[in-house]
Amino acid sequence: MAEESSNRLEFSIKELPDVVRARRRGMEAAINMGFHPAEANKVAVVISELGRNIEQYAGEGTIILLTHTGENRHIQITAEDQGPGIPDVDRVLKGGYSTSQGLGLGVSGSKKLMDEFEVRSVVGKGTTIRAVKWLR
Amino acid sequence: MDTMETAEISEISTIQKLENLLLVAVPRDMTDSDVLSLRRQVLQKARRYHSHWVLLDFSRVDICDSFFGRFIQSTARMADLMGANVIVSGLQDMVVETMVELGMTLSNIQAVLDLDEALALSRKSQTDSASISQQESDEQEKEASPADSQLERSTSIDMPLETRSEV
Repeated sequence: MAEESSNRLEFSIKELPDVVRARRRGMEAAINMGFHPAEANKVAVVISELGRNIEQYAGEGTIILLTHTGENRHIQITAEDQGPGIPDVDRVLKGGYSTSQGLGLGVSGSKKLMDEFEVRSVVGKGTTIRAVKWLR
Repeated sequence: MDTMETAEISEISTIQKLENLLLVAVPRDMTDSDVLSLRRQVLQKARRYHSHWVLLDFSRVDICDSFFGRFIQSTARMADLMGANVIVSGLQDMVVETMVELGMTLSNIQAVLDLDEALALSRKSQTDSASISQQESDEQEKEASPADSQLERSTSIDMPLETRSEV
């Protein structure tokens, strides 16, 4: 029986180099716990998309990476900010909705790359996005 | 520390001229300002060297998010206005898998395997547009058509490489 253990990495996001660092560490962490490089790449891109959103809309926030090894191996990304919040979460999840520099794919595309994806947002209070990828 | 790293990233990007191609080695981990300055350098050099083709080489890029996708698309649109075509090469297998699953589409952008293929493509189009303009002058001075519509038509016409010297 493999031993259960989890590891937590926290990244404070204020500017783009923070996002670049977080996504690279995320890709390494995913590879180290046994994800195929192509899957680890998706984890990195999701960190990048969510990190960019924090930098762009909230100004600052946090990305937390949890890696669970053992029986239910998975990686969880949590992106938190106290920014303006998302008025229409459903629309953002459907995609094609962008007020900025991306392709309007940031959140909706990230959802497609992960196994679980949950957005909680309160206008004026902030946004928390939690995404999970299982190692099968 | 971080600013130094970023500065290094900008510097390792190389832009070189090869025949009518502009070769751009796209660095990894670019920030938004790196992206903007790279795009400006590319357009400036495409104009200086009268490049017909801009080859964006992505072999060094291992993380490509939607912002990066937008960079490729916008560079292609801008290059197009200058009469140049953008081709991409060297996209890594894991990068394309993520791009497609993310829903990224790059319309009107040709992709090639490597530099050899890019060169073959640019040389062929040069030869073909030469042969077309020859035909057109034979038909008594038609109006000059834009470079890329010539390229569209060019694919079916095969002319030997030697005709290039007649350009």
